[in-house]
Amino acid sequence: MEVRVENLVKRYGQVRALDGVTQAFPSGALTAVVGPSGCGKTTLLRSLAGFVTPDAGRILMGDRDVTGVMPQARDAAMVFQSYALWPHMTVFENIAFALRLRKVPRGDVAGRVGEALELVELDRVPGVERRRPRELSGGQQQRVALARAVAVRPKVLLLDEPLSNLDAKIRHRVRVEIRALQRRTGITAIYVTHDQEEAMSIADMVVVMDSGRVAQAGRPEEVYASPRDAFVAEFLGATNVLSAGIDPSGRIVPAEGSRLIFRAEDIEMLPSGGPPPEGAVWADGELVDMLFLGAGYRAYVQVGGEVVMADRRTLLPRGPVRLVVPREKTYLFG
Amino acid sequence: MKALSAGALGGRVRPVERARPLEQALWWLAALPAIAVILIGFGFPLLQSLTASFMRDGNWTLANYELVYRLYRQDVFYTVGVAAAGLLLTFGIGIPLSGHLRLRHSHVAEFLLKVPLFVPFVVVGHAMRVFLAPRGTLLSTLHALGLVPADTTLAFSEGWMGLAIALAWKHLALVVLLLMGAFRGVDESYLEAARGFGAGPIRQIWAVLVPMAAPSIGLAAVLSLTSMLASFSIPLMMSRGSGPQMLMIDLYHRYGQHGDFGTASAIGVVSYLLAAGAAYYYLRSVAK
Amino acid sequence: MEGRRAPGSKPQARGRGPRGLGAIIGRTALVAILLAVIVGPLLGLVLWSVAERWYWPAVFPQQIGTKYWARITQGDLLGALTRGVSIALVTTAAALVTSVPIAYGAARARLPLGPVVLMLFLLPQAFPQLPVFASAAVLFYRWNLAGTFLGVVLIHLVGGLVYSVWTMTAVFRAIGEEIEEAAINLGASFTRTFFRITLPLALPGVVASSILVFIYSLDEFTGTLLVGAPYVTTLPVYMYTASLGYELQIASVTALVLMIPGVVLLVAMERFLRAEYLAFFGRL
Repeated sequence: MEVRVENLVKRYGQVRALDGVTQAFPSGALTAVVGPSGCGKTTLLRSLAGFVTPDAGRILMGDRDVTGVMPQARDAAMVFQSYALWPHMTVFENIAFALRLRKVPRGDVAGRVGEALELVELDRVPGVERRRPRELSGGQQQRVALARAVAVRPKVLLLDEPLSNLDAKIRHRVRVEIRALQRRTGITAIYVTHDQEEAMSIADMVVVMDSGRVAQAGRPEEVYASPRDAFVAEFLGATNVLSAGIDPSGRIVPAEGSRLIFRAEDIEMLPSGGPPPEGAVWADGELVDMLFLGAGYRAYVQVGGEVVMADRRTLLPRGPVRLVVPREKTYLFG
Repeated sequence: MKALSAGALGGRVRPVERARPLEQALWWLAALPAIAVILIGFGFPLLQSLTASFMRDGNWTLANYELVYRLYRQDVFYTVGVAAAGLLLTFGIGIPLSGHLRLRHSHVAEFLLKVPLFVPFVVVGHAMRVFLAPRGTLLSTLHALGLVPADTTLAFSEGWMGLAIALAWKHLALVVLLLMGAFRGVDESYLEAARGFGAGPIRQIWAVLVPMAAPSIGLAAVLSLTSMLASFSIPLMMSRGSGPQMLMIDLYHRYGQHGDFGTASAIGVVSYLLAAGAAYYYLRSVAK
Repeated sequence: MEGRRAPGSKPQARGRGPRGLGAIIGRTALVAILLAVIVGPLLGLVLWSVAERWYWPAVFPQQIGTKYWARITQGDLLGALTRGVSIALVTTAAALVTSVPIAYGAARARLPLGPVVLMLFLLPQAFPQLPVFASAAVLFYRWNLAGTFLGVVLIHLVGGLVYSVWTMTAVFRAIGEEIEEAAINLGASFTRTFFRITLPLALPGVVASSILVFIYSLDEFTGTLLVGAPYVTTLPVYMYTASLGYELQIASVTALVLMIPGVVLLVAMERFLRAEYLAFFGRL
């Protein structure tokens, strides 16, 4: 079911947590809402769930206007950052609680709980239904929270930073599993995270938010390849943000009020000197240091008053170098 | 009582966003009785005692206060004196003791110190009366040890000393508990730094723990002081009816024996004023 | 038990290390002094409660017996005990029922003027009680509440509500809001969420606050003396009357009976009672 918000506004005192957000979340897709903390992404998710009443604007789920609807009646199940599993209930009771509320026939409850656990691949853990949340690992608790939400077969699945409490290793695995689960069920999912890499790897669509507004929305590849403004470019992992412009030869020159953005991985390092390269942006600088990062090295190059970071497979000696970036991989914002 | 205050009072006000209006109304209805109990059983009587202190035979007058001044002004000083002595005793023992226990944890000592918390005021009064009386347990023990003669005239229970000791005994537990909480909040590294410079335990307590826990010490002092100024059960159990009295005993006699509610209320107002000074400090430190 | 030392810190000099002989003597001396100062006065009560004959300056009574303890099972002492317990039970039940909505509202910042309301409950414990209770007694007399069971319960609630309201406010506040939102999100009503999710999680704190109110009510003296006496007598008032008549043995037996619930609580729950709850007892 498609979810749409139109001109959504929410103020907390002087702060505009949502400052006129209009956005469609396509049916059956996983949309990641991403942005730095305080950008309004959590407020957006909580107003979809009904926990935040917007000051202005409309929320539509399918054709239904749910703006004034109680959270209980929205049919949008949420997975919380803290999982919010009820510690005094077993895994079975946690999942069955909502099923019973929805008047699922008594005889069907156990079957539906089992189904949900299968969906999150917890059915292989023996006796998991009878355990309490604190007896499970973080990753398992995460999956129970997910199972609890999908067991009621909601129209919309809301995920609030679901992986932020897991360690890096498990995070990658659960991420893949959430993606697979969403594909299998075809549920419309809205996934809030502050991690741009997580957002881009998991989502069909990425919505980048900045101070209560949508900065850019689109397919991850699109947004990554052509950021609309400096904020998006910077947020989506651009390593080099210079106060600079480009002269007719493609050479990077200092410029007030103009920002030149490119990624460390797109830079090629050549010996200094010689004619300027064709159709590329370039600069001559001084290689001051190289740090080993595991997969390769990160070079620190002094260009004028700024330091540019460039990635490279092999070591280079310190000294003058020329940096070359393909023109289409650089972004210049006035 | 105090330890909860900071946490219990903060908090943002935000709109109710998930209860149906009917549920909300019922909820508020359910909250009313508790507030009503306090207003009927405390707020209203408090106001009545304020007005009654200015009334005699249905007329507005200051006669009650004149009587308080004439009969009880010495008792005001006596009360403040006893409370001050009790406070001094409590903190004179409490600060070094809490400091020592912070540096050298002792479970047995901590357990023992909690005991007075669970002994009601009336029982403390009675126990101290029996213990400190002219022929009480303390003196008979001291006599048996050969420390005092059989015809000793030492008697603590009837005077200010006995009261101060009893009040200190009861309040020591609370004070040590509050202070130890505050001292535990002082990071070990500060103490290690002091030890590194060769500071002994006494220096560590006075130069590190006490200054860093000063706000908590102040609060504990205010709490004990108000409680001691308004103490009633302990002095009632220990008093013998002659000589200077604690204000609350005067009030009780005015009220109970003379049926003089006006003067009793005037004494009450004096005690409110004494408490209000301390309460002002308390509220201020809670509010921030 | 060892001194609190972080790993890597040097052992203390001057033989004051945890294992030094001096430290052992010091610690033993500290415990001995505390034992004498704290248990000593209470021991006097025990001696008096079994002293059938005791003349100065003997350290121990000349004749020891349980004559006075037998009074517990009969007559006025037993009456005061059962009356006090039933008053405490009713007070506790009333405090629980009335405190839950207030505490929950204050914890979730839904209570208009929440901090002011919380302060209101503290007032009877922070202010001199006697003058106010004397004034309340005058009012209660006018309303035919003086000398009644209900009147005493009311005056106990006045002083006792702060224990249940404040403790439960802290308990509810400690329960994360997301845990309630999870239930609401899945379709549970506000009321069902409260009774199925919030209250079960708050149960340990609710029990602790009930115990506080119960013991407060059992030990309450000032209000009972002014509002209840002479028709409604509880143990503390009974003890006061006994000691007025120089019945030191009876008073001592009563005093020990009064101490039992508190001491049992201390021994049984010492580990579980947080400092906050313990600090409450300072006002009993």
